[in-house]
Amino acid sequence: MSQIKLEHVMMRFGSVVASRDINVTINSGEYVTVLGPSGCGKTTLIKIISGILHPTEGRVLIDGKDVTDIPIEDRDVGYVFQNIALFPHMNLKDNVGYGPRVRDKSREETDAISEEYLTLVKMLDRSGYLPSELSGGEQQKVAIARALASGSKVIMLDEPLSALDARVRVELRYDIRRLVKKLGITVLHVTHDQEEAMSVSDRIILMRKGTIHEIGTPLEIYRDPKSIFAAYFIGETNLIECTVVKRTKKGNTQVVLRDGSITRIKGIKFDVGDPVVLSVRPEHVYTANDGIRATVREVVFMGTYWRVRTEADSQDLIEYNISTDTDTPAKGDVVYLVFNKKATRLFARPIQGLQEEIVLE
Amino acid sequence: MALIEKIDEISSNPRNRKAWLALACIIFAVIIVIPAIFVIFSIPTRWDEIQGVLADSDTMSIIWGAIWNSFSLAFIVTVLDIVVGLPMAWMLVRKNYRFNKYLDTFIDMPLAFPTVALGFSVMVFWGCPDGITVPGLGLVMSPYLMVVLLHLIFTYPYMVRCLSGILEQIDTNCETAAMTLGASKWTAVRTITLPLFRAGLVTGFILCFARSLSETGGTYIVLTMMGASTFDINGFFTGPTLISELRHMSQDPTSGLGDAVPELILISSLLIVFALLMLFLAKTIMTRLKIPWRKVWPRFGRRVSGKKVATAKDSLAFMFALIFILIPSFYIFVCLGTEGSYSDYGGFLSAVGTSFLVAGVATVFDIIFGIPVAMYIARNRGSKRAELLDNLVNVPLIIPTTALGFSLGLFWGGLGLSSWGVLLVIFGHISFTYPLLVRNLVGAIEEVDPSYEEIARTLGAKPFQAFRKVLLPMVKSSLLAGAVLAFTRSLGETGATQAISNTVNTVPIYIVNFINGDIPNYYAAAVSSVMLIAICFVFMFGLRIVIDRMGGKD
Amino acid sequence: MPEIVMSHVCKRFGDAVAADDLNLEVMDGEYLCILGPTGAGKTTAMRMICGLTIPDSGTITFDGEDVTQLETAKRGATMLSQQYSLFPHMSVMDNILFGPTIKEWDPEDSRIIANNLLHMVHLEARAKERPTHLSGGQQQRVALARAMASGSRILLLDEPLRALDARLRLELRKDLKSMVKSMGLTAVHVTHDQDEALEMADRIAVIRNGRILQVGTPREVFDSPATPFVANFVGRSNVLTGKVVSREGGTVSVECGGYIIKADDDKHEIGDDVVVAVKIGNTRISKTEGGWFEGRIERILYEGVSITVEMNVEGLGLVSSKLPNRKFDDYSEGDTVAVRWIPSAASVFDVPECGLEEELRVE
Repeated sequence: MSQIKLEHVMMRFGSVVASRDINVTINSGEYVTVLGPSGCGKTTLIKIISGILHPTEGRVLIDGKDVTDIPIEDRDVGYVFQNIALFPHMNLKDNVGYGPRVRDKSREETDAISEEYLTLVKMLDRSGYLPSELSGGEQQKVAIARALASGSKVIMLDEPLSALDARVRVELRYDIRRLVKKLGITVLHVTHDQEEAMSVSDRIILMRKGTIHEIGTPLEIYRDPKSIFAAYFIGETNLIECTVVKRTKKGNTQVVLRDGSITRIKGIKFDVGDPVVLSVRPEHVYTANDGIRATVREVVFMGTYWRVRTEADSQDLIEYNISTDTDTPAKGDVVYLVFNKKATRLFARPIQGLQEEIVLE
Repeated sequence: MALIEKIDEISSNPRNRKAWLALACIIFAVIIVIPAIFVIFSIPTRWDEIQGVLADSDTMSIIWGAIWNSFSLAFIVTVLDIVVGLPMAWMLVRKNYRFNKYLDTFIDMPLAFPTVALGFSVMVFWGCPDGITVPGLGLVMSPYLMVVLLHLIFTYPYMVRCLSGILEQIDTNCETAAMTLGASKWTAVRTITLPLFRAGLVTGFILCFARSLSETGGTYIVLTMMGASTFDINGFFTGPTLISELRHMSQDPTSGLGDAVPELILISSLLIVFALLMLFLAKTIMTRLKIPWRKVWPRFGRRVSGKKVATAKDSLAFMFALIFILIPSFYIFVCLGTEGSYSDYGGFLSAVGTSFLVAGVATVFDIIFGIPVAMYIARNRGSKRAELLDNLVNVPLIIPTTALGFSLGLFWGGLGLSSWGVLLVIFGHISFTYPLLVRNLVGAIEEVDPSYEEIARTLGAKPFQAFRKVLLPMVKSSLLAGAVLAFTRSLGETGATQAISNTVNTVPIYIVNFINGDIPNYYAAAVSSVMLIAICFVFMFGLRIVIDRMGGKD
Repeated sequence: MPEIVMSHVCKRFGDAVAADDLNLEVMDGEYLCILGPTGAGKTTAMRMICGLTIPDSGTITFDGEDVTQLETAKRGATMLSQQYSLFPHMSVMDNILFGPTIKEWDPEDSRIIANNLLHMVHLEARAKERPTHLSGGQQQRVALARAMASGSRILLLDEPLRALDARLRLELRKDLKSMVKSMGLTAVHVTHDQDEALEMADRIAVIRNGRILQVGTPREVFDSPATPFVANFVGRSNVLTGKVVSREGGTVSVECGGYIIKADDDKHEIGDDVVVAVKIGNTRISKTEGGWFEGRIERILYEGVSITVEMNVEGLGLVSSKLPNRKFDDYSEGDTVAVRWIPSAASVFDVPECGLEEELRVE
């Protein structure tokens, strides 16, 4: 059992507010990622949970017990650093055995625990090595073993993969998830990589400017984002500014693009005349005989599909995917695009402008 | 401008760059390293006379006593520095006390004081010298203890600087990681941070040890004021003060010592050999020494990790710095309030002129010939040649300056240059200031990612252009700090000047002469010390303003 | 016409081989990506092009002219580095003007060029600021403008996007390439990120242990990998070992782990031990149709535009399949599915001498 609960947590550094009014519950055994652009306060959040930072206001509860004033060493929250932070003067066995040792376990117990966790990350054959003799990915695996070996049922991963090569990152993220799920550990994983967040988490906490922007499973946030920023930040999407012109009886909304072309979206959330932003993901844009007229600007091979980048007559840039076994259009070709109306979403147009709403840094 | 462009052009040929580096290395070897240890090679030429000294058991017991005093003193002082410097460095780097900023500046100040002034100040504060009516603590203690108190003052800033520098570089994440694993603060620091500290401890150890070993002026003043420096079996000497005293006595025909050269050769050689041995030992033994981290005492660690213990530790560190370092350094100002007469302003000014000439020329020389060597060391880490050069730079640093000065005098005297007093003194000052500047610069250059210069070169900059337009502005402040350090160190030096020439009268020597005379004039010594300190500060302050202005323009 | 030619270039650092008989041609105006894991020698290759590292042997020519020993300043190859290395003591404008000033161009012309570039990277308003006041993405753009202002024909990019947030990286891939192309520069871009290489490169050179394993368009490298390492590094693959048991025309049947799988191949004989690699994106699964073998779904990972299905197959271990996200609702964990692929999507290789595990190591 290790449920984490944050109540009205606020953190201030001088005059800068790093997080404000954070309320969230993380269930026992859940794998949650905290996702957001640089400087959104995501690392502050897990540092508060682990006790490295003391919140200016609010409470942290673990299993219902208020731990806000309990020091780091008594909190039993494991922490894995972005820069790995293995103890450079100890070999792997001593690194992993550090937790049990400082908790006054006997030498035999310490060795047994150390071996057990090194085995879990498949590094037992290297137990005599120094951290500097390992590659980045291997070091991070040992760091995770070390955090787990101290007996923590909750661990914080602070961008654990961002120092590693892209390819290693992909392998390791699945390994980590498999491992913690097997042990039933509660995990908070901080990352700025939306792909990483989606592929490993049970739930994603999307943060922005010190507040929680949106919480949901990867599927919920990807399919049904509640805001333009979530739609844009998690997965790729085409954002098109348009205006509502009609609400049909079948429950569809008709919108008009800047050049006058019209498209239809399921649902009737907005009134006629409302300025809105349409969001449609590239995989839900198809070519047809009629639709939004656009000119092909670029065709890019993305491995499992072709990505076609077009500029519509409304001057909106619209991207769509086509399968690798179909023919690709040439640069300069004119195509007609239609949207999957069930998968398209409308949002109120932000007052400060669309570009300001999706600014990343 | 045309000259600089020409240098730009020349610098693009790698052969020219190599030639320039080679020149700098040759100058380093000929002017700095070889003269510094030349005295050892002069032993065979005067072996007969030296044998005579060796046979004289009274003289030998004084010599061995002095050497033992020097090394044991340096060792005790350095160990004390580590013990008291560590909490202070910790407090400066890791804690956010409001007074930290001021403390940081104040701790460095003794470095800018000439040691002669410090010696005087310490003596007045702790002891009860005859013939001076300043209200001090008036404690009666052995010369040994008094010298320990003095040496603590000017080695402590080095240790604190060195330790805090390393502390800033250590990744705090390791310590935090240990704490998330359940280690108490004390256990985490002891098992994780301290073992990572080793390299810094070795550097700090060498610096402080060398500084203490080498100090002459302040020690000489303290011993003279205590009446302990009589050349007989009851006298108390350190290696450098013994050299000073012998030089002093050899000028006096009534002492019956003659020129005392065989004795001086013997002492200098012994000091140099032992000092180098010490350097070697420190590098080999201390880098292998392991701080034990395997054993832990969790319950004890927990008990001493509380807030109260930390506050007590910080207060103690602060009190120590205040009582043992800061107050004794500044106590000299109290002497101004006593009665006395002083009117030799002309003599003082001429001494100041000489001091500034020597320090200025030496510093400029250090900068010109130190930069290429520093760059080579910093940019070729790992290569055997750079490592050798790096170790050689340390040599003049560890050798006691009096021995160095004497050796240098012999070397250039042998080449018939003995009458060029000021020039030789400048050479001597170059020797022991050069490592200070180079050391500082190597550290600063290593901090700058080489990619800056590389990018500049891919944008079309010639190597010298990349250096002066990109690297130099980025290390400017460290270069300045190094230059100020070298300058003030030269300004405050007594031993080397004395050992090289009897005629060159720098300010520290001018001050020593007041105390060393037949009738000591303490008031005059105090006034001229304070004036020297004031000049130092005005000069440093002015330099900073000028450099800041220059920085604003580009 | 090739602009940069490296032929038989070798470079060692002590015992480490950074370039082992490296041969590479970069065409005029081409955007070439050098892709490989950390320590493969990517950066060394690039440093040798701009003269910051001198090769032990071999030659490098620009437009037919031998530049192997020429000093960096005279080569006309500019670098954009990973940490941007903007000069902290100069304003944004002075950083961009560094090249023109060094080369003593007419100040008036230089200023016009710099202003145009600032406009292109949308930073006109920040010209007077120090680079440390800019965000990561802005710094990267200043570094690009600085490199372009120096008038070099060749631009070398050393992991230019590595220090940025993942989402920003995605946006900048497009911008970066279009800016480089619009200036008509020849670009060599070093990266460890295969998605970045696929999306940005005209051609990709895959490098490992100082050797170039394959050079080709993104599609060639992805669809027809030259070695098992390339197959697994550029897009994940299921890699299986087995023995050829029969052949029908250009298709062989391979027995692995007790199953018979098919792949197109014309180089191997019956009885040969082989390695078969198939991209996880080409690995199809089905609940209704038959396949080469069956697996039990262990996990379904929702990754946005696609989903990854991990299956446990008796005798083969973990096999993955990448599907479009609309298939997410079709499967659930615990289902048993049949796995197959079209034979032309698979590649067949000799068993690597160093062993398969060593061959596939990505770091």
